[in-house]
Amino acid sequence: MSKKTVLIVDDDAWLAELYARVLQKAGYTTHVSPHAIDAMSAIDDVHPDVIILDVLLTGNTAFTLLHELQSYGDTGAIPVILCTNLAADISLDDVKPYGVKRILDKSVMVPEDTVAAVRSVLL
Amino acid sequence: MSSKRGTHEQLVGGMLYDGIPSLVAAAHELKSPLALVRQLSLLLEAGDITPDEQARMLRQISLTSERALRLTSDLTRATRLDDAMFALEPINPQQLCIDIAHELAPLFAAHGRRLSVVSRKHPLLLVANRDLLRRIITNFSDNALHYAEADSAVEIQIRALQKGEIIRLGVRDYGPALSSDMWRSLKSKLATAPQTVHARPQSSGLGLYIASQFADAMKGTIGVTRHRDGATFYVDLHASRQLPLL
Repeated sequence: MSKKTVLIVDDDAWLAELYARVLQKAGYTTHVSPHAIDAMSAIDDVHPDVIILDVLLTGNTAFTLLHELQSYGDTGAIPVILCTNLAADISLDDVKPYGVKRILDKSVMVPEDTVAAVRSVLL
Repeated sequence: MSSKRGTHEQLVGGMLYDGIPSLVAAAHELKSPLALVRQLSLLLEAGDITPDEQARMLRQISLTSERALRLTSDLTRATRLDDAMFALEPINPQQLCIDIAHELAPLFAAHGRRLSVVSRKHPLLLVANRDLLRRIITNFSDNALHYAEADSAVEIQIRALQKGEIIRLGVRDYGPALSSDMWRSLKSKLATAPQTVHARPQSSGLGLYIASQFADAMKGTIGVTRHRDGATFYVDLHASRQLPLL
């Protein structure tokens, strides 16, 4: 079975690197995009199975990217995990229409939570 | 669709604030570095990492902590602006900017970026408080670090405007352009409240608000110029009249 690919969209390079390290150890292939524009190109190139997405990004916010993803049948089906410091302000029900399956709170999560979240949305 | 749009504006708009530094904005700005430090520490505790990885993560922790501490220092200074006397003096901004570039070099290098000062053959003098000016340029540089593309340079530029009456210190980054919508919003806010420059969306704008307060204390202003490939955040200050005597 081929490795699943996780696209990490976060403009904090060190945090993205940390998530990538943990996910790679768990057997996933990772790709990091620092902003929404790069992420759209990466989605076409690497065809991710899951997207881990920060909310407040450089340039456009995550919601611009989520709108774009929902515009196409294939990208709209990719499960999205929001990973944000704004978790307390976001209701999962509100963002489900964007394809968001899980929300992780950066301020209380442990690094391995990314692995658990990815596993859960791929079930 | 309208509910989606409403959610977007509510979430993003909620992080911006209008002109007054708030506890919410300060908490948001400090949350990001603290969350990073915490998660790096947890990985270190868990072990199972190479000595090279360990050294790199420890370096990231110390540099991230320093960034957070700079913000807390700026916040403290900003809240005391009304009570304190800030001596204004003629300053050579080029030397000050070179010092800042030197101080921030490790942070930029750790992020794979460079900070440089565009040198002038004939140095200019301006009137400012050295500490406040240093904090403004450091703040702009920190902001630019976040937006600059990997392996790109951030430049500190010094220019004379209005026949030498005004000296502009700008920090130019090369990153994603501000979208037209974002730019219109930014310009509108600048027009109605010249001392309230909002950051790009990932930030609460607290750092830039503090910079505007510091500039105001020196009778200066801050602003932003959009480029096709990034932005320049700048502070305009009065030139020193001592210059012709030098």
